Amino acid sequence: MSIGCRNLVVTAGRRELLAVPALDVTAGETVAVLGPNGAGKSTLLRALAMVGGGQLRGEIRLDGRPAGTAALRAAVAAVLQRPILQRATVLDNVAAGLRLRGVRRSAARGRAHPWLAALGITQLADRDARTLSGGEAQRVAIARALAVAPRVLLLDEPLTGLDATTRADLLADLRSVLQQLGAAVLIVTHDRDEARALAQRTVLLINGRIRQIGSTPTVLDAPADLDCAALLGYTTRLPPALTGHPTMLVARPERCRLLGPTAADPPAALVVPGTLRRVVPLGGTTRVDIDTSAQPVSVLTTAEVNEVAGARVRLAVDVDDVRECPPGPGASAVGDCGTPDREEPAAAGGPGCAEGRPRSRGRPTRRHLR
Amino acid sequence: MLVDGLVEAVRLLLTGDQDTWSITGLTLRVSLTATAGALLLGVPLGTGLALGRFRGRRVLLAAANTGMGMPPVVVGLFVTVLLWRSGPLGALGLLYTPTAMMIAQAAIATPVVTALTAAAMQQVDPDFLVQMRALGATRLRALLALLAEARLPLLAAGLAGFGAVVSEVGAAQMVGGNLAGETRVLTTAAVLATGRGQFALAIAFGLVLLVIAFAVNLAITLAQQRATVRQPR
Repeated sequence: MSIGCRNLVVTAGRRELLAVPALDVTAGETVAVLGPNGAGKSTLLRALAMVGGGQLRGEIRLDGRPAGTAALRAAVAAVLQRPILQRATVLDNVAAGLRLRGVRRSAARGRAHPWLAALGITQLADRDARTLSGGEAQRVAIARALAVAPRVLLLDEPLTGLDATTRADLLADLRSVLQQLGAAVLIVTHDRDEARALAQRTVLLINGRIRQIGSTPTVLDAPADLDCAALLGYTTRLPPALTGHPTMLVARPERCRLLGPTAADPPAALVVPGTLRRVVPLGGTTRVDIDTSAQPVSVLTTAEVNEVAGARVRLAVDVDDVRECPPGPGASAVGDCGTPDREEPAAAGGPGCAEGRPRSRGRPTRRHLR
Repeated sequence: MLVDGLVEAVRLLLTGDQDTWSITGLTLRVSLTATAGALLLGVPLGTGLALGRFRGRRVLLAAANTGMGMPPVVVGLFVTVLLWRSGPLGALGLLYTPTAMMIAQAAIATPVVTALTAAAMQQVDPDFLVQMRALGATRLRALLALLAEARLPLLAAGLAGFGAVVSEVGAAQMVGGNLAGETRVLTTAAVLATGRGQFALAIAFGLVLLVIAFAVNLAITLAQQRATVRQPR
């Protein structure tokens, strides 16, 4: 079963929280919705499940046909961002979704058991759910949703707030479960690694609008505009004044290198001179801020930085690691994630939305560099 | 005098004094019925106040909280006026009947149950209902799940409502009239016995009242503890 929406608009009072002209998730497919805090990701998820607050306009579709609340209740199971468990044992919590759908207690418990095993929480079956750790509680919440055998599964940041080890373990288990589920899955996240690990397609949602949609590797590797670039970690911005390229170039700061005063320019790389402003140790990496003739840029490096503030340095980044990036819709300044205020030809996500890698954008060629 | 009174009280209870036991029976009937009525009214009202989003909600919540401290005599006065022969409900002929006492006591307990229910519901995660709905629950099933989730503070609300009515004397006296064999309950009987200088009888009534209050509290506390699943980590 597929789920989708058409002309979906969610408002709170006079404020528009979300405007999605079209979005579809097909059966067996996992789509990640990636966006910064406050972008409307959870609003989208709740709107698709028809459990959200605010006024909802537009159409929610199941298998391409408009769906009512009852049909959605039967088909969809959603896991909210915080694991909200009932005052009961883990087993009864995992069975709770089935109980809420009218399944008898013994049958519900029987159907819950395999999902305890699938999520690795069988040993917790008789534990009071209120004594669980964050990771365990999240596993219970996911198992509870899976136990109802949903044809559409909506997950709202299921791995947020977990420590690195727990997160990695749950990510692996979740990936395995989703591959076998065969349901249409929409997973909301602000972590691109989660999107890469779980989703075949990724949607970038900024300020309630879909700004880019396409296969996950394509979207994560080719941001459509500066807002998308910032969201995807391409935060080192190299304006035309520095590069001679007609549009802004962006790169991941961890892909940039700091060249010493005597080092030769590397081949097939963009080199930008500047003055070292500060060096900030960040545990495993070091952030180096550099003042250039146009604007400050930052580098993240694991190498030892011997230069001090005021030193003349050069920033180098391989051509393959640089992306062209026009400003986002409505953006007038660097870093502005403004609401789209101009009409563009409608793409899958509507005005201002780019489908996959834009034809006119890509990696700059050597001739653009100086 | 106190010791003599206690001895006499125990004797009255153990020998099965007919009056004492009929008064005790009526007290339980009136108080439990009034509490049940207060729960039937107060739980939906409190739930609505906790979950509803409408103009005047906070004022109503404040009114319910104020009602928790309403003097029973005032409630008794209003119910008496309503049920008085020439009053709006005088035609029903309920004044000086156990039914009138139940109405008055339910009116005392309802604000208590309403305010405590609202507080109990507001303690549950605000997204609880959303999560239940997101798992496929109908509105009714989600609401029942919410009530089940808040069952411990709801039991406490019922307990507080019962405590408020079983121990009050003013309203019971005013609307019941303390008629022997008809509307005499433990509190009004204790007041009458004390006025007559029958301290042993008054102490016996007091003891029974204490035992009832303790028994009901014990039963609900045990129910609460059984509902609280606690497993060692």
